[in-house]
Amino acid sequence: MRNLNIKHSFLILVMLTSMVACKKEVYKIPDPVSTLTNDCIKRTIGPNIVGLPIEFAYAMAIPKSQGKIVSAQVEATIAGAAGTLLENRSFYTNASGVDVPITIGTPSVNTGAITKVTYSIDTNAATLRYYYAIPEEARGKSVSFTFSATSSDGKTVSYKLGPYAISKMDIKKNLAVSNANNAYISIEDMTVYNNATLGSLTNKIDLIYLYRAAPVNFTHALVSPGSDPAYLPGVILPSGLTKKTKVLKVFNLQDRNLANLQYGIYIDDKDFQDISFADAPNYALGLKAESGTWVETADGKYRAYIFINSINAAGSAVISILRYTL
Amino acid sequence: MARYLKITLSFLMITALITACKKDSPVDEDGLLITFRQECFVSNFELLGSDFISVRSKTAVIDTVAQTIDVEVLFGTDLKNVYPQFSLATDCKLDPKVVGKTDLSDLANPKTYTVVSGNRKIRKPYKLNIKFQ
Repeated sequence: MRNLNIKHSFLILVMLTSMVACKKEVYKIPDPVSTLTNDCIKRTIGPNIVGLPIEFAYAMAIPKSQGKIVSAQVEATIAGAAGTLLENRSFYTNASGVDVPITIGTPSVNTGAITKVTYSIDTNAATLRYYYAIPEEARGKSVSFTFSATSSDGKTVSYKLGPYAISKMDIKKNLAVSNANNAYISIEDMTVYNNATLGSLTNKIDLIYLYRAAPVNFTHALVSPGSDPAYLPGVILPSGLTKKTKVLKVFNLQDRNLANLQYGIYIDDKDFQDISFADAPNYALGLKAESGTWVETADGKYRAYIFINSINAAGSAVISILRYTL
Repeated sequence: MARYLKITLSFLMITALITACKKDSPVDEDGLLITFRQECFVSNFELLGSDFISVRSKTAVIDTVAQTIDVEVLFGTDLKNVYPQFSLATDCKLDPKVVGKTDLSDLANPKTYTVVSGNRKIRKPYKLNIKFQ
């Protein structure tokens, strides 16, 4: 009898547990926005490079019954460079997927690290883009942002984003090189020189652009001045060009910034830190459009990635450089 | 009677355990299956540069009798940073293994790669001869 009682009690306990475990939580409708509210996203992805902007979209809204939006501002921990602005136009995306702007106020004013827009129309919702032009003083540091909006009822809301690491890389895009003319490439200056502009800068030249139709695989090449003369056929070097730059050929590495916003690949500081140049040659022959080369200067001061944007069979090319200072 | 039953059951269990643990397929030191196959040869050879693009100027010549692979590479190929790729007969493996970038720049002393058959009993060394275009 005692055993039977225990069995019954246990059964009831199991049943009760099952009932509690299966309890359905009732969905609760969220409260509608009843006060000034804001939200923000970072639109740019990839490394944050000095000279390039970081783009954000800052949205703010207040119920019509509570008033209207009066102003919006962004404060960065490091003041942005020239070109930093908070859009005075609000964007919405139409049915065709196109962002349509509506002017909501006067153009933004930069005061120190604060960028502010004052509304001139009666609106209770807007999404403003913020473009932060990364200044030189932010290189290698972190930047944070505080977005805030004020409404006519005297309320203020804010949204913090960051910190975002600013890359140590430099970028220079679309440099024209040509055989026996704009052929002298300096990683230190991130510039291409020709015989006329080279002058006394021979100690700064890391690579020479060459084009040779034969042998068939030579074509477009980047050769360091100090490499084997076999890879500098017919080249008479100005005196003082002796550097042995390390070069590694790469294919299918189309950095989005270098490739003029095509592709979804980004080269970051870590790539430059991790790459090994052990046993790397001093030349890269047979370069094709959208190929590239990792480069380390002879003095070990810089590493760079040279991307071939385009090539021309007549013996010219367009290159872009991403440089990292070691 | 119960005692006999217990003893019989114990024997049965021990037998079952021993049988259950028997290994049907032996594996080698790399964890690869040792099979019955005796074929032992290189069927294809490719050589890639640091950009993972072929540096051959023509198809590699594989002599399975002389056990040589003759490959001609493009002018300016950086043989210190290349990736050799071997296609082998079924179940074969290569010794030494190709684990990444390989230095094949010593043309005077060609590197030798040994193909080991599926049954791991036959070993055929192939000499890799490289010359520039």
